[in-house]
Amino acid sequence: MVLEQGHAVEIVDMPINMGPQHPSTHGVFRMVLAVNGEQVVNVTPHIGYMHRGGEKLMEAMDFRQGIGYADRTEYLAQFHAELGYVMAVERLMDLKVPDRAEYIRVILSELNRLSSHFMFMGAFGIDAGLFGTSFTFAFVQRENLLDLFEEVSGDRLMYAYFRVGGLAWEVTDNFVQRVHEVLKQAQQGIRDLDDLMTKNEIFMGRCQNVGAFSAKQAISYGMSGPLLRASGVPWDLRKDEPYSVYDRFNFEVPVGNYGDVYDRYLVRLEEMKQSIKIIEQALEQLPPEGPIVPEKMPRRLRTPPGEVYSKVESPRGEWGVYLVSKGGDKPYRLKMRSPSFCNLSALREMTIGQYLADAVMILGSMDIVLCCVDR
Amino acid sequence: MLLAAPHINIDHPALRELAGLIVITLLMTVGVAYATWYERKIVARMQYRLGPTRNGPFGLLQPIADMLKLLVKEDLRPATADPVAWELSVFAIFIPAFLAFVAVPFTADWLISPLPLSLLYLVAVSGLSFIGFLLAGWGSDSKYALLGGMRAAAQLISYEIPLLLALLGVVMITSSADVYQIILYQDHVPLVVWQPLGFMIFLTASIAEVERPPFDIPTGESEVAGGVFIEYSGIRWSMFQLTSYVNMYVFALLGAFVFLGGWQFPFGTDWGWGWQLLLTVAKMSLFIVFYLWVRASLPRMRVDQLMSYAWKVLIPFALLQIFLNGLVIVYDAPDIALLLTSGAGALGLAYTAHKLVRRGAPRKPLQMVPVRARSSA
Amino acid sequence: MIGILKSMAQTARVVFRKPATVQYPEVHREIPNRDRAFPVLIWDEEHDEPFCTGCHACERACPVECMTVVMKDNPKHATGESKRRKIIDEFWIDYGRCMRCNICVEVCNFEAIGMNNTWAGHELSRFDRKELVMDLDQLMAQSKAGKVDPGLRA
Repeated sequence: MVLEQGHAVEIVDMPINMGPQHPSTHGVFRMVLAVNGEQVVNVTPHIGYMHRGGEKLMEAMDFRQGIGYADRTEYLAQFHAELGYVMAVERLMDLKVPDRAEYIRVILSELNRLSSHFMFMGAFGIDAGLFGTSFTFAFVQRENLLDLFEEVSGDRLMYAYFRVGGLAWEVTDNFVQRVHEVLKQAQQGIRDLDDLMTKNEIFMGRCQNVGAFSAKQAISYGMSGPLLRASGVPWDLRKDEPYSVYDRFNFEVPVGNYGDVYDRYLVRLEEMKQSIKIIEQALEQLPPEGPIVPEKMPRRLRTPPGEVYSKVESPRGEWGVYLVSKGGDKPYRLKMRSPSFCNLSALREMTIGQYLADAVMILGSMDIVLCCVDR
Repeated sequence: MLLAAPHINIDHPALRELAGLIVITLLMTVGVAYATWYERKIVARMQYRLGPTRNGPFGLLQPIADMLKLLVKEDLRPATADPVAWELSVFAIFIPAFLAFVAVPFTADWLISPLPLSLLYLVAVSGLSFIGFLLAGWGSDSKYALLGGMRAAAQLISYEIPLLLALLGVVMITSSADVYQIILYQDHVPLVVWQPLGFMIFLTASIAEVERPPFDIPTGESEVAGGVFIEYSGIRWSMFQLTSYVNMYVFALLGAFVFLGGWQFPFGTDWGWGWQLLLTVAKMSLFIVFYLWVRASLPRMRVDQLMSYAWKVLIPFALLQIFLNGLVIVYDAPDIALLLTSGAGALGLAYTAHKLVRRGAPRKPLQMVPVRARSSA
Repeated sequence: MIGILKSMAQTARVVFRKPATVQYPEVHREIPNRDRAFPVLIWDEEHDEPFCTGCHACERACPVECMTVVMKDNPKHATGESKRRKIIDEFWIDYGRCMRCNICVEVCNFEAIGMNNTWAGHELSRFDRKELVMDLDQLMAQSKAGKVDPGLRA
């Protein structure tokens, strides 16, 4: 874009390419910024580097095989992705999941929210310029959580643990005690990260009034999750449309005021503390023994024809699964409503007018995972 | 009195100085190579990690391994780079850093070149390096390098001023611009007691001058790929890195001499060169550990915040320090007046830095919307 | 200023905590029982043959189609040593495609396949992707040597 043409000098905006590989690792995402001096004038995001045709692949898988794929579509919030998928099938088949399985699902989902938000804290500190301190603090805690998940499900990252109707197998004997240990260390980790970043004046100067987004804009872009709540809209699926056993807990939902990067950070920090509250209540209410699949569990998972949309509150926002079935044991069409995709679409409006260094902070605060954007 | 190390038995004075210079250069080269080791170990311990452990015991051979790797790397050179500017920038940054050691008195007797204005010489020579950044930024023929180079030059020039003004306050008190005399002045009380405001300004400005986090916009531009030195690889890049550490050493030494008393406080010159060297190294290490600590803890400042901090906060407070010193000297007040006025100024600086971020209306805290259980098990 | 001092105090506190580093090749941390590394075939010690009869159940159930199974008549059945009529002849699993979802273990009627839960199941780096296709001998080697006892075999 040519800005001025006077004498023999043409002044144009400088395009800067933050290519598919860049040090602030958020996945393979390409952003072409046009800057005028220090201010960003235009942003062109390029996505699709991680598109694997997940939705089409899942049309060829039955409802047990597809769970592994749902994991990989959201590699930081796997239990939420699995939960969305199996909840859709359970609704179509009208299955009632036993209580013990529901409570274990909720405990694992909230632990997964903790691990995803720890990842956010780590990566966000790096974006702000902390030389890796926040990253190691966060990952020490994340390692504890992943060790717990490995003990229960067998894998550190791709769990494939939920099944239609409940869980794949029973949890370990010392599950409750292990969760208590992990929670204690996670609380220490949250305190550490809080001390390191929240009140740090330089950090606040980098984050406040950057990328402010009003509630009206957020709703019009279809945002969800911590970004929507930071903009002042008190919408949380666990509160407004509770699924599973979320209507049995007392907790609080943090809502921001300004919608800027600092509010988003604070909302996620608070959410971690609230997750710990929910997990503790769930551990108390957990039935000590019971079935993990319904008694009348059908041998073959066949759904009646129909369509269903089920949604869960994942750490990034509303993860939705729209399942159309024509009978049979495979979906006819499976669409995954990805929160990162909808949140990312607002990047342009958020970044125009900000400084160049802020563009990285804004992208970091949206906490996208490219597998979710591209599926 | 002011001779090169007395145990080098060379009679000719120029040769003696040359020998001292060679010793210094070698020591400093090895010293900064091991500064990288030191940094990696200490910063790692602050991050639940261990740092280098594999190459040699405790990773002590790691700098040598790095050096070897960088030496055998391919010497890439962009085809469109300006031949003179691109090549010269390395030297333009490297040489002034080493020139500073000519006037640094490691102990009472170990000084290569006694200069009556050595303080000014040190600051002037370390300020020459910004030309190298401009040459590197322009000569690389790359947008990111240009951006980085301009910012580096702006930052270095801006933070020179509060640095110099803080040191000028010290010069006013000691009536001498010679580092040697300033050290001798501090035989009972180090100058940090009389000049806390000057000390704080010196600390901040020196971190900015060596371009370490939180002021590392030129070298830490991970946001836009590398910064000024993006087109340099192998041994050229390692020269830039080492220069950054040499600069860090120079400012640490300067701070140790001017504010902490150097080798004079607390034992004086009667205790021999061993103790003096130990004191110098210990005080320098305090500064270096502080730099490393700050690096591991604080995020990077944005360029406009950095510049506004220098011009709107540090320079007025540095001028205030000079003004207060002037008042104390003109009215012949006792030394304690220096402590009181400068201490008040230091508190004022801390308060201003604290308040700078919280400008405008105070931020509303998060609202917590409660959710109550609607059913039970 | 206070926030900056708080950050610095936090990093100083961490210096006195134990570092989280595990010096990997010398020290291997313990793997839990249920760990799902890659599938291996289980050896039947009593009859000195694999449990696997080559029934294709796991091959059909695999989401990524990473297995190829060929069965044959069991020579030991003719002599009366074993009750299995058919036995596995050739079995290839492409470890590069396997997604370790555990479905093959769940559908197996004979409990013949299990997930390797030892370090040997994780330390499988190869230079060429073709070498990741494991054949029958490689799949049975661990269990024959008595080195693996997979959890979660229901």
